[in-house]
Amino acid sequence: MRQKIKERWEERVGLKEIIRTKLKEYKVPKGVNIFYTLGIVTLLAYMVQAVSGYFLLIYYIPHPDHAFKSVQDMMNVVPFGWLLRMVHIVVSNLMVVVIILHLLSIFIMLSYKKPRELTWVAGVCLLFVTLIFCLSGYLLPWSQRSLWATTIVTNIPTAFPVIGEYIANMLRGGENVSGITLSRFFALHIAFLPPIFLSIVGFHIFLVRRLGLSTPSVSKSAEGHADAHSFYPYFFLKQVFMIMVFFSVVFFMITFMPTLFTPEAANTPADPLKTPLHIKPEWYFLAPYQMLRIIPNKFFGISMQILLIAIFMLWPFLDTKEEKNILKRPLLIVMLIAALAIWVSLTIWGKRP
Amino acid sequence: MKRRNFLKLLTFILGSTAVSSFAYPLIRFLAPPQTKATGERISIKKSDIPLGKGQEIVFGGTPAIVVNVQGMGYIALSRVCTHLGCLVEYNKETNRFICPCHAGTFSVEGHVISGPPPKPLARLPLNVQGDNIIIG
Amino acid sequence: MGIFNYLGKAPMRYFLLSALIIFILASSATAGYREAFEKEFLYKSWGTEEQEINACLSCHSSDIMKPEFQSIPGEWKRSWHYQNNVLCHDCHGGDYKDATMSMSHQRGFVGTPKYADIPEFCGKCHIGILRNYLESGHGKALQATGKGPNCITCHGSHNIQKASIDIINEGRCTKCHTYERAKIMKQALFATENKIRDIDNLLENLKLEGMYTGNEKRELFSTQAEFRTLFHTIDADLVKKRTDEFMQKLSAIEAKIKASFDELSFRKNFSAFLMLIFIGLSVVVSLLSKTYKD
Repeated sequence: MRQKIKERWEERVGLKEIIRTKLKEYKVPKGVNIFYTLGIVTLLAYMVQAVSGYFLLIYYIPHPDHAFKSVQDMMNVVPFGWLLRMVHIVVSNLMVVVIILHLLSIFIMLSYKKPRELTWVAGVCLLFVTLIFCLSGYLLPWSQRSLWATTIVTNIPTAFPVIGEYIANMLRGGENVSGITLSRFFALHIAFLPPIFLSIVGFHIFLVRRLGLSTPSVSKSAEGHADAHSFYPYFFLKQVFMIMVFFSVVFFMITFMPTLFTPEAANTPADPLKTPLHIKPEWYFLAPYQMLRIIPNKFFGISMQILLIAIFMLWPFLDTKEEKNILKRPLLIVMLIAALAIWVSLTIWGKRP
Repeated sequence: MKRRNFLKLLTFILGSTAVSSFAYPLIRFLAPPQTKATGERISIKKSDIPLGKGQEIVFGGTPAIVVNVQGMGYIALSRVCTHLGCLVEYNKETNRFICPCHAGTFSVEGHVISGPPPKPLARLPLNVQGDNIIIG
Repeated sequence: MGIFNYLGKAPMRYFLLSALIIFILASSATAGYREAFEKEFLYKSWGTEEQEINACLSCHSSDIMKPEFQSIPGEWKRSWHYQNNVLCHDCHGGDYKDATMSMSHQRGFVGTPKYADIPEFCGKCHIGILRNYLESGHGKALQATGKGPNCITCHGSHNIQKASIDIINEGRCTKCHTYERAKIMKQALFATENKIRDIDNLLENLKLEGMYTGNEKRELFSTQAEFRTLFHTIDADLVKKRTDEFMQKLSAIEAKIKASFDELSFRKNFSAFLMLIFIGLSVVVSLLSKTYKD
């Protein structure tokens, strides 16, 4: 009976053919390691966010008078609401970590070289869309930290000479962060950004499949995957393994560090009349925040950051040497280490009051 | 091959345990709330509250008060002061609620008139049906 | 680097150079200085901040004041009133924004209250306590003779701290009578005060574990305030009679807090269980993938 259904399905959908060509015959180069799986882990993190976000949406009320209480009710009253919220919080932070690791491994393996420059550009765009997701998301609980951290960040565009105020007011829906801002960020977070993210991811993955995974420089196989592994089950299982590791880390953090991402200010309802003493943006924004603090001229600071972002995004077009082994490019190694060191030290410095 | 099948089986078992440990919380998460929605109802006779007087009740564990206001009818408010939680008292002469802890003053409709309270008193749903006042 | 090849051509060079000059000019023209950065980026708080000019504090902190007046702002800054944004004009009236009207009777300035008027002075806000105090032996003594303990006898005038059971001590209460009566009162209060303190600690712990404690904190405050207001009747029998009712309310709050702690343990165990399953899965999958290594 089961066989009959399978046959009929096969006549209409032709699944076997797809599995054979796209999964079994699709080859990945020899020597691919777990770092190659970070991309799918990022996508999975996004899916987890979407699913947990959907469930949170059932009980969340996007109005300043009710938002905080609805989140607290979810944590304390709704059965297992705490699990969904904790997963959403932890994965939102871990997703940024995984993206950074993915970015670093692509950079170190110089996989962004021709013809894969557009994949890199799409990836950087995805990084920024993710950061906007994070920014719009943490206003939603309407806690002291949400309100004031968002106030700081939405004040940044005011550094631009003429249009700055206008941009900031457009973002906030007014002079201050208020219920109007909440509605805008909520719509951004759940309706506007997901399709943008998914379309860029679609393009990114399309390019990866089209061009194939880049051969690791230390592998003996030639760029044409002459002696490679089949994607399924070899690479597929590697991906599943990393996904399991990811989930283990998520639940480790939920079990042993549940308050890591929710300091006291995040558990206090928002009060527009009282500024808490030490407001800080989330850790991934600390480096740009600190950079702006130390550069005395606001306009210069922001323009510097825009310039850095442009360089970052268009890097494959600036670095056109064809060498794929990073050990043969000492200058690049130095630049990478310097950039990382500066980013890390700015982040740590930004954490201090 | 045998090892592979064993491992496949193990994956399947662990995997289904994982899936069911998510399914159970999700089902309970989505299940309609049990008693909260049906809510408590308290019924008071109109004759128990003459004009200008108030009747203290407890609704859903919260101390509350039902007042018969001149020119306004009946109103039910929570007695929990929005400053730090003390219970407010109704002053018939001035038609105000006053908190004995830090002199927070509320109007008869619960709006803050003076003092430290940041928000008005919470209002309870109230219906008048015939001779009875139903709260909830 | 690829893009720098362009720099060789003359028009490009000039373009980039002029762009750089315009950029530098624009930056210097719209410069914001560093101190302005923090203030402009932070939303201006509307609550009274120290930076705001407070006419009372500026005169009373200066050297033209007599020492006993000059010490007042310092004492007040160490007080519980200061922590809760209760300022000079909240008790003494006057206009704190306008130095010329800061001590004007038109703005409600009352100055230093006389000894016998102090209960009404503090009772402007602490209504419930005033009521109980006036009915008490202490209050009656003050009203009848003008002598006796008033608010500042036990609580001080400007350096008012959070009330605690140790305000009742041998040194203070023996100023007028023997310590016996005060001792009985202290014993009557003792158990309840301890319970309040224990519950407060439990709430702090709960907060550290990440739970929102707003509702329980209010219930505790309300119960505690009612209990302490009761004390001001100085009627140990009344306190003993009503202690049961207070202990019950406190036990109910404690039970809720314990339930929260139990819930937190359950959550920890549940997520630990999930973590172990995923660790197990990663081990099994990695072993499985090794069997496919061809």
